[in-house]
Amino acid sequence: MKNSTTSKDMTSETKMDDLQFRRSIYADPSSLDEDIIAAQNDDPAKKQLAQELCMLDERIKQAMSIPVPDDLCDKLLLRQTLKSHQQNKRKSRIHLALAASVAIIAGIVVNYLQFSNSYNYDNLGDYALAHVYYEQGSFSNSTNAKVSLDSLNQKMVTFNGSFSDSMGELIAADYCRFDGMKSLHLVFKGVTDTVAVFVVPKKEHLEFVDKFHDDNLQGESLSYQENDIIVVANKNESLSQWQRAISNNINWSI
Amino acid sequence: MATKQVRYEALVKGLHSDLYRYAYWLTHDKQVSEDLVQETFLRAWRALDSLKDEKAAKSWLITILRRENARRFERKRFDMSEYEEDSIMDTQSTSTEQEIENEWLRDKIAQLPPEYSEPLVLQILGGYSGEDIAKLLDLNKNTVMTRLFRARNQLKEALEKEPEKARFLHEK
Repeated sequence: MKNSTTSKDMTSETKMDDLQFRRSIYADPSSLDEDIIAAQNDDPAKKQLAQELCMLDERIKQAMSIPVPDDLCDKLLLRQTLKSHQQNKRKSRIHLALAASVAIIAGIVVNYLQFSNSYNYDNLGDYALAHVYYEQGSFSNSTNAKVSLDSLNQKMVTFNGSFSDSMGELIAADYCRFDGMKSLHLVFKGVTDTVAVFVVPKKEHLEFVDKFHDDNLQGESLSYQENDIIVVANKNESLSQWQRAISNNINWSI
Repeated sequence: MATKQVRYEALVKGLHSDLYRYAYWLTHDKQVSEDLVQETFLRAWRALDSLKDEKAAKSWLITILRRENARRFERKRFDMSEYEEDSIMDTQSTSTEQEIENEWLRDKIAQLPPEYSEPLVLQILGGYSGEDIAKLLDLNKNTVMTRLFRARNQLKEALEKEPEKARFLHEK
């Protein structure tokens, strides 16, 4: 369309031909192109065509300007407001859910760290020490003995074992979870402090260690067919004596 | 957040009419046009940060709307039917002579092939230059000018077949 500029360069006398004019004016009746305006000024017929087309455009514009639904604008604004409101609501719900999840996970982790299947301890000894420290406050050497041999043996049924004779003053005998395994935790009166005896089913994930200690406590484990027996006490106790007493006393039913 | 809301409201208020009319001439269906405009503004909201220049907002929205319309086409390819002539505009009780003429002309515009009517809508309603239209529709400018020529040519011929309707062309 715009090759008119080149024709103008050739000679100012050159006029836009009719076809060219028609095509241009039909494509854009309100064109401000110099050549098109010049052509209109030179030729009343062209001017009239241009005016007709401008009027046509005016009419087309009117026809095209169909009524817009009155409520469209409000709808668009309202919808957006609702949407962002919902998003905020959803966000706060997500936050709540996140907080709840964190709380639950925290709970699980705490549990896990205490007694559970966690394999936080490499061997029996470490775990036994930790267990004794954890319950240190619960038992005192001065407590009077209160667990009878019978009730001890009732508890020992779980482990298919029994004691034929009392091995000392038994302060407490309770099932506990020993690194996730149901175990029996016995607390005897010792020389200066309580002596802990654990009856623990054999499991693979804890490495068996026969002797262990830290600064305050020492421990000895003895392996039986189905169970391990671990004795933990302070350094005033003779653990081997305890173990001997146990092995002399214990009867395994299988 | 507040500024985003303000920008959005300005866009809606300033441009929803243009967009709705453009959608109407694209789809010939009022309900579909409304849906398209809603979908367009929804997407615009999500992408509002990518609009750097408010002056480009209209073209930006038109581009989104065209894309939405193309998507609609893909979805509805199978149940698209030729629009029925009388469903183009609802039968408003057209009282004035001018309204009757408008109606008649709308019908003619609706009968134009879409590749002719679309640039015409953009030029006349949107106020876009041939170059702008070429950019919007991803065509070259000569093609756009040819289509504009044909669109007007067909409308004018239709008018001239019915001298009654063509009367206004010669008034004044």
